[in-house]
Amino acid sequence: MSIFTPTNQIRLTNVAVVRMKRAGKRFEIACYKNKVVGWRSGVEKDLDEVLQTHSVFVNVSKGQVAKKEDLISAFGTDDQTEICKQILIKGEVQVSDKERHTQLEQMFRDIATIVADKCVNPETKRPYTVILIERAMKDIHYSVKTNKSTKQQALEVIKQLKEKMKIERAHMRLRFILPVNEGKKLKEKLKPLIKVIESEDYGQQLEIVCLIDPGCFREIDELIKKETKGKGSLEVLNLKDVEEGDEKFE
Amino acid sequence: MVLNSLDKMIQLQKNTANIRNICVLAHVDHGNEEYLINLIDSPGHVDFSSEVSTAVRICDGCIIVVDAVEGVCPQTQAVLRQAWLENIRPVLVINKIDRLIVELKFTPQEAYSHLKNILEQINALTGTLFTSKVLEERAERETESQVNPNSEQGEQVYDWSTGLEDTDDSHLYFSPEQGNVVFTSAIDGWGFGIEHFARIYSQKIGIKKEVLMKTLWGDYYINMKAKKIMKGDQAKGKKPLFVQLILENIWSLYDAVLKKDKEKIDKIVTSLGLKIGAREARHSDPKVQINAICSQWLPISHAVLAMVCQKLPSPLDITAERVERLMCTGSQTFDSLPPETQALKAAFMKCGSEDTAPVIIFVSKMFAVDAKALPQNKPRPLTQEEIAQRRERARQRHAEKLAAAQGQAPLEPTQDGSALETCPKGDEPRGDEQQVENMTPKPVPQEENNQESFIAFARVFSGVARRGKKIFVLGPKYSPLEFLRRVPLGFSAPPDDLPPVPHMAYCALENLYLLMGRELEYLEEVPPGNVLGIGGLQDFVLKSATLCSLPSCPPFIPLNFEATPIVRVAIEPKHPSEMPQLVKGMKLLNQADPCVQILIQETGEHVLVTAGEVHLQRCLDDLKERFAKIHISVSEPIIPFRETITKPPKVDMVNEEIGKQQKVAVIHQMKEDQSKIPEGIQVDSDGLITITTPNKLATLSVRAMPLPEEVTQILEENSDLIRSVEQLTSSLNEGENTQLIHQKTQEKILEFKGKLEQHLTGRRWRNIVDQIWSFGPRKCGPNILVNKSEDFQNSVWTGPADKASKEASRYRDLGNSIVSGFQLATLSGPMCEEPLMGVCFVLEKWDLSKFEEQGASDLAKEGQEENGTCSGGNENQQLQDGCSEALEKRTSQKGDSPLTDCYGPFSGQLIATMKEACRYALQVKPQRLMAAMYTCEIMATGDVLGRVYAVLSKREGRVLQEEMKEGTDMFIIKAVLPVAESFGFADEIRKRTSGLASPQLVFSHWEIIPSDPFWVPTTEEEYLHFGEKADSENQARKYMNAVRKRKGLYVEEKIVEHAEKQRTLSKNK
Repeated sequence: MSIFTPTNQIRLTNVAVVRMKRAGKRFEIACYKNKVVGWRSGVEKDLDEVLQTHSVFVNVSKGQVAKKEDLISAFGTDDQTEICKQILIKGEVQVSDKERHTQLEQMFRDIATIVADKCVNPETKRPYTVILIERAMKDIHYSVKTNKSTKQQALEVIKQLKEKMKIERAHMRLRFILPVNEGKKLKEKLKPLIKVIESEDYGQQLEIVCLIDPGCFREIDELIKKETKGKGSLEVLNLKDVEEGDEKFE
Repeated sequence: MVLNSLDKMIQLQKNTANIRNICVLAHVDHGNEEYLINLIDSPGHVDFSSEVSTAVRICDGCIIVVDAVEGVCPQTQAVLRQAWLENIRPVLVINKIDRLIVELKFTPQEAYSHLKNILEQINALTGTLFTSKVLEERAERETESQVNPNSEQGEQVYDWSTGLEDTDDSHLYFSPEQGNVVFTSAIDGWGFGIEHFARIYSQKIGIKKEVLMKTLWGDYYINMKAKKIMKGDQAKGKKPLFVQLILENIWSLYDAVLKKDKEKIDKIVTSLGLKIGAREARHSDPKVQINAICSQWLPISHAVLAMVCQKLPSPLDITAERVERLMCTGSQTFDSLPPETQALKAAFMKCGSEDTAPVIIFVSKMFAVDAKALPQNKPRPLTQEEIAQRRERARQRHAEKLAAAQGQAPLEPTQDGSALETCPKGDEPRGDEQQVENMTPKPVPQEENNQESFIAFARVFSGVARRGKKIFVLGPKYSPLEFLRRVPLGFSAPPDDLPPVPHMAYCALENLYLLMGRELEYLEEVPPGNVLGIGGLQDFVLKSATLCSLPSCPPFIPLNFEATPIVRVAIEPKHPSEMPQLVKGMKLLNQADPCVQILIQETGEHVLVTAGEVHLQRCLDDLKERFAKIHISVSEPIIPFRETITKPPKVDMVNEEIGKQQKVAVIHQMKEDQSKIPEGIQVDSDGLITITTPNKLATLSVRAMPLPEEVTQILEENSDLIRSVEQLTSSLNEGENTQLIHQKTQEKILEFKGKLEQHLTGRRWRNIVDQIWSFGPRKCGPNILVNKSEDFQNSVWTGPADKASKEASRYRDLGNSIVSGFQLATLSGPMCEEPLMGVCFVLEKWDLSKFEEQGASDLAKEGQEENGTCSGGNENQQLQDGCSEALEKRTSQKGDSPLTDCYGPFSGQLIATMKEACRYALQVKPQRLMAAMYTCEIMATGDVLGRVYAVLSKREGRVLQEEMKEGTDMFIIKAVLPVAESFGFADEIRKRTSGLASPQLVFSHWEIIPSDPFWVPTTEEEYLHFGEKADSENQARKYMNAVRKRKGLYVEEKIVEHAEKQRTLSKNK
């Protein structure tokens, strides 16, 4: 029996343990660090680059291998490689710092890209670049949450950025065609949702071309459908109202 | 002029005023005449050759300075060429002769042959410039004679002579005996032309000065006994005159001083009849002594300025050739100009200062000065009257105070004006001056303390520039013909209410300045031929302009820039909120620098294009410290890509035919294939994607096909036309009348359609042009949506087939969703979210049967609920109404139809489904990236050709053609280069060729990158060749991953490549 002292304590290095509970028992496999997430996402295709060994353990740090009966009772097979693959996909894993870092960075960029895509500088009607948005996000100390979708977070970022710089969501250009008799009434209701009315045309039908905040689109859509009983129609002319083409200073 | 050391440049940059052409007036007494010389210094670095261009335009002559040790540098060539192109006369100064003595330890004989060498090189350069010009002229003549074949047919003897023999070129060359070369050592303060020594020795030896002038330079020697000058020194082993009489004297002086031979120095000094101060004579540093002796013996200023006075033309001697060239833009010939304009030539030539002479001024650049540096804002010494005034005022104030203290009513407060009135008008002219000064409006508002003010750097070519004179400002694109057309002949209304003519403005000359180094001095009027600064023009002139009192004056030809801006960087403020300052600063920079371009790209980037790295650095410094005054960050500009698909390849990467060998079984390959297409989407072997909306009501079948290259090109070229087609059809959709559309446009559309039909031939493309439904992205891009479904006809050419039927109009709304889906899909492709290009999506089937059923059932239900009268006659209409109502119902009444509700509105689902379908249809085809390409034109001399090629091939460039420019040893190389590889290209090519090659980049087209970004080795041969992982360069993949990373998209890249090789020490150990 060995004495557990710091000098004979063997530390596991370069090992990430993936655990899974099945049939009341705990199973573990020994993997390389920074590789499990890669396997799950399908980037790493070589199993030997992920697994330290193909054997299934009860406790990796103590080196206790799982018994064959337990494996059969839990997984219905004793093919260690197959079981390892199952555990790799479904087991719980400690995400390493590098993996988390890359994930956060990627999400951060993604958010910045979405913001840059959706927003414009209201003065010039031109978009901001992603790099600039990233810097602005760092300036307001935005921290990425991994459990929220990037799109949600992007909308949040836009709200926060508005206090710091001149930024606005790019407007959508819509055209309503409304029956005249209901049009007037409806227009009043639509007014608070519309940013700029570009043209109005009372002919046989009321035709309005306007710019709206994309956030209001669904509301407007529903309002028109409900009020006009399907007679009015709405057409998206332009998803993003931005300046197109290059401009040269002259 | 040749300043090679970069350190020195940077040091110069510290003081921006140094960089600008400094204009200094020199007043020279030469003989009995007095001369006024405007000296304009210009920097020598290649990047700043624009400064040379601006200076050369307003000069009559130039001094070219060459280093005696380094000889002719690339920049010397450039400067010579510029002087040549502007038709101004150059003189040569060979400087730093002292280095030949002190550093290189040449003997006088060696130094002579070295100097001769340099002179020959320069003359060779001048010679090539001359021959190329003569050849060009000849070529022109030939083309002309081809155009006019009416010359006598009988005597068609081909002229084999190049025309060189007939043209006299002797006056062009530099040679000391002509007096246009001076040898100097600026650091030691001496310089001489041959004339100086000729004068001395003609007295000493008694040979005629004229003879000496001819023989002092060249292969002549003197026979002292016979007092005769003989030819052929080398053959007889004698020293040439130049060495014997001139160089040896200088050498012996240097020798004596450096060896501290006191006696000899004294001897030389006394024999030269100089007086050296005791302080200098005793100084331990030999440099000081040399300077003291030489600057008295052979003063440099005399030598150089005398040459300038003698050899360079005065403004009056402007050649007719130069005038004509200045006035004729582009390919215009002088004779084709309107007669009013031609008449101005006389004014040019006369350079008259009468009031009747038309005023012609050319502004070659705008430069920014601190408002504080302007004379009107500067504290100036007070004049006598002013002091008197002040004293008066102080006395008054004192009296007021006293009065107030005594409780009396205060006196009227005196204002400045009244104070002026009270001042004694003793001196009439002075008083006038005072008034004028008081009257001048302060052009620079004082609100902002250190605002930049722009001053135009200009020259008066004719007439007198007076302050307050009204004048036409003609931009570079102005045409006098335009003016004559718009303004009726004999128009006599005041020029203020002229009809607007493009590129012309009318304003007054606000302030005139004399440029004295950094100082600006006020001027009332400037006579012709002078260089001046004009304030208050910044709103009228951007970079350069022609000012004239007559509108018939043509704008001068654009400045001839040796360096075109090619180094592109993206600029952003460090703090995003400072964007407006940056934009403002960039606008100022654009005005202040003649050779800078600023663009705002569609991506929102602000791109600065400069001539080179050093120029870039200066622009950035200017932006940071003067114009924007904010922190900025500089980065590589974003490089655009396009995505497309190609036909499946016939051969694999090792040129084996595909399909004949066995694929190596790769386990993980399977996994990848599965992950690409999720379940619920059917893919048939032909690449047809069938997909159903989430609510299972509609099914779409889409196929993607690559468009032929020509078609893509046609679509690219006609994007404006496509946009108008779209507008036309959409207005058709609403049933508006389309008579408004111009007949011409309709013809154009038909022609465009015909062109498409012509290129889209073959079985697969049959009838496809008629079925085109939309273009994308943004409804005008180079991608096509084709509608092949049978139950709904719609095409971009005609609008919906049967617009009367309500059925169609119901489809129309859904059709719009499909088109939107297509637009979204083409806007961002699956590879790296870049727009698509050259892809044709075919909507093969469009099954809405289930949707209709549901609509019908809803309608029925509704009918029952509302007890509506649903007659069979207008069922169609009811159906339509019901449909949309059902839609609305679904969103409002949750209990009714939960299936559709949870997926949102149906139109949205259709958009998303269409987008997905297009994406998957793309993914099953071989995808390729398209890179933007520059055409790159490189001018290089023959000896650096190899290095140019090396740089090009390293950056994936392809050489298209190479030809020699006639009459020179320059090669012109045309190549294409991916934009992605162009960052730093110009700099690299300049470095590698020591500045002898200068590239020009212009965007030309999109090109498919041949390699597949998703390629991995699959066959045995490929395995052998590339290895299992194929980590060798895959250019397309590299680009794709770079874009994905930038956008924060998922990149298929391992965090750690080799599991065993990572650092394994834990942190707490």
